[in-house]
Amino acid sequence: MAMEVLEKELEKLKDTAQLSNSLANVDKIIDLLTAARSEVERANDPHVTSLTLTKLQNPVQRGLDAVLDDLKVVHKGQVKFGKALEKALTTDKDTKGSLPEDHDPMAQHPTLINRAIAMHLLREGQFGVASAFIAEAQPQRPQSSISQLQSQLSPLSPSSVTSPTSPRSPEPYESHLTPMDELSALQSETLQSSFAEMYSILSSLKERKLLPAINWARSNCAELEARGSNLEFELCKLQFIWLFKGPSVNGLPDTPENGRLGALYYARENFGRFQHRHIREIQQLSCAMVYASNLPASPYRSIFDIAMAFDEVAASFTREFCSLLGLSAESPLYVAATAGAIALPQLMKFLNKVKGKNTEWTTTQEMAFETRLPKSMVYHSIFVCPVSKEQTTAENPPVILPCGHVLARESLQRISKGSRYKCPYCPNEGSVKDAKEIIL
Amino acid sequence: MADFDKTNRENHLLLDTHVPVPDPPSSYHLATTPDLADTPCSSLQQDHPLLRIPLELLRKNFRSAHFELEKDKKNVVETLKETATRAVNNEPPPTEDVLKSLDAIIARMRGVKRKLAASADEEQRLYRHETARVRHLAEIYAMHTTDDVKYEVWSRTRLDRMLVDYMLRQGYGDSAQSLARERGIEDLVDVKTFEQMAQIRDSLRNGSVTEALAWCTAGDTKKELRKMDSNLEFMLRYQQYIELVRPYTPAKLSEAIKHAQRFLHPYRETHAAEVRQACGLLAVPPHRAASYPAYAALYAPQRWEALAELFVATHNRLLSLPSIPLLHLALTSGLSALKTPACHSAEGAHRQSAEGRANVASLASVCPVCSRELNDLARSVPYAHHTTSHVEHDLVLLPNGRAYGRERLDDYARKAGLLDGQVKDLRTGEVFSEERLKKVYIT
Ligand SMILES: [Zn+2]
Ligand SMILES: [Zn+2]
Repeated sequence: MAMEVLEKELEKLKDTAQLSNSLANVDKIIDLLTAARSEVERANDPHVTSLTLTKLQNPVQRGLDAVLDDLKVVHKGQVKFGKALEKALTTDKDTKGSLPEDHDPMAQHPTLINRAIAMHLLREGQFGVASAFIAEAQPQRPQSSISQLQSQLSPLSPSSVTSPTSPRSPEPYESHLTPMDELSALQSETLQSSFAEMYSILSSLKERKLLPAINWARSNCAELEARGSNLEFELCKLQFIWLFKGPSVNGLPDTPENGRLGALYYARENFGRFQHRHIREIQQLSCAMVYASNLPASPYRSIFDIAMAFDEVAASFTREFCSLLGLSAESPLYVAATAGAIALPQLMKFLNKVKGKNTEWTTTQEMAFETRLPKSMVYHSIFVCPVSKEQTTAENPPVILPCGHVLARESLQRISKGSRYKCPYCPNEGSVKDAKEIIL
Repeated sequence: MADFDKTNRENHLLLDTHVPVPDPPSSYHLATTPDLADTPCSSLQQDHPLLRIPLELLRKNFRSAHFELEKDKKNVVETLKETATRAVNNEPPPTEDVLKSLDAIIARMRGVKRKLAASADEEQRLYRHETARVRHLAEIYAMHTTDDVKYEVWSRTRLDRMLVDYMLRQGYGDSAQSLARERGIEDLVDVKTFEQMAQIRDSLRNGSVTEALAWCTAGDTKKELRKMDSNLEFMLRYQQYIELVRPYTPAKLSEAIKHAQRFLHPYRETHAAEVRQACGLLAVPPHRAASYPAYAALYAPQRWEALAELFVATHNRLLSLPSIPLLHLALTSGLSALKTPACHSAEGAHRQSAEGRANVASLASVCPVCSRELNDLARSVPYAHHTTSHVEHDLVLLPNGRAYGRERLDDYARKAGLLDGQVKDLRTGEVFSEERLKKVYIT
């Protein structure tokens, strides 16, 4: 609503407030002046000259005033639009107050942010932008900014925060290199070529060519199987259906390798390896052959409706491909920035409340307020101890009692008498040592 | 199924073997949180600068056009009057002289036209920007939840905008331009403004105040800076003074004194301490400054960086640009909202390691905070606060101390082709018989 009003105001502004409208009046002055000049030149007579020049004064003055008046119209329009803009921006459903700019914990970590951006660009297939970015983000000047310098000198510098508890994988781009070496390594090493492969397979999928994806899945079948992924079968199944649909749908040459016969050959050659895990689906496909002449009326029509199938396999291919690289399918930078936009109103509300108390909210271990994110953005199990109402952590993990109830270890210690406890949620009693740590 | 018999009979079509038919896989749900209802789209607060900048630039464009016009008007009117006065004198000048004056006035008016036309072009560009931005924001206003299919597209554009803004602020102009071009968002970002800003900033870093001073005093910027109580111009003049004292030659020193009288003296009330210190500096040549920390600081090369930062802050405030990149803001807010105690635990680290990854089931998406792109960055923010548990409703405990939803375990067992009555740990890959599972009660 607010934006519709603003759109109309903007149209009005564009209709009326145009600096170019003043140009006609400028031309008039130039015309006056050139006419006077010709007159002076033509007559070449002091009397005419003085008369012409005297007569010129007022029209030029008025002409310039008219140009200034034209500008006034522009100014008025801007003032009016400025008011409309403020109104549109303050009457919306937003939190009041200004953005929390005072305290910026991210400013300490330009190299980590640059690394995240470089990886984001690569995974999005923006290879051109990525290489421009990596070239520019290399520090040419050793001291390009004081804050950067400080962060390099501080004991918490990005290169030293790698926690000793985290085992690192052997990839060259995340081992002992400094973050900046790492940035260029990102490009030259496997990551870019991996993503190039991913995008080439995805573009084949877009053209309804499944074989590159099938080949990839087949050469990574052990890893995929360990992850419980059915990607290879899904791709083969789609290839079967695609062939089955025949030349009129798939546009492939009308040969024995296409159509129902082609699909049959394809299945015989490829489905054997899936028979243990996917027998039921193979049977369904097989039955469908029987109904081939009248599929739309058969119980199998939904299997053969592949309107969304290529998009779906493309999505699951992307997910599996990224997983095997140890990356999530969705760009973490995208998810975090989106979550940030969603959570910002709550952050601002909180900061407005504690204003003046000089709270550096990011230095606490836990946030002081709850943020609501969409379900799709909840990635871990969250356990809040029903006794202490606190989230469990590595230092204070959840424990399960023999009765099946779960609470935080510290809570259990608090409610137990000596080595015995009584479960707060059921009549069970027991020995504290029988409570086992649980990983949720 | 009515055609079950037929199914078995037709099996041979595609396979030669006969295997019993398992149950169809049922769909499972990842840990869902019933109390997290549809979330409103986002704060629009962070998008306000998007609309404000073109208007600020329009105002600035107008002010400088107006400033120039007033100046030219005064000149034209005065020159014309003067020429006319001379022409009516007892001894009128020759016609050529009058023509020369008129030519000068005409040239001046052509200059007026040229400048106005340039301002009009800039105005068109800014109108185009503002129109594109109002439309872009209207899209998000029209959406009611983040579940809207168009939300993701919009949100990606927002990230692209933030990235371009970040790149521009860092001075990565090529990256910013090519990203804006590839994503077709040139009207939603302020490449030109930031490039001009970066040029002036870099000239300060290279030890030159000329460009920054020109910016300070161009058009009516001087007036605007005074309105916001900016000390930028004073600091630039002060630096000029220091640079005149630095060589410590008699000629330069006398130049320094003249400079101080002209440019620093007017500030003696508002910046008394600095002006006094400036006078004191004359007595301390650079090579002796080490024993006087206050004077050493004046000679320090770091002052240039401080000036560059002061300029950037002043520039951004003048255009109502946020003082920090929106990307920083979004990351601080987003990482803290997503972060859980598990994200930096040994368990999380294991999940990130090669060996942990190999076994992880493809059933859950990887947490962005746990991902190696953002894990280290997220150390600088607190974890999210929760008042209720969010776990799967059908949790069971495996003998190894790990708990998963039963449906998810069954699904994984099926996909992994396990024997009936067996389940497989989704993270460690250990296989257990289902009698050893234990129900978990989360209160
Ligand atoms: Zn109990
Ligand atoms: Zn995590």
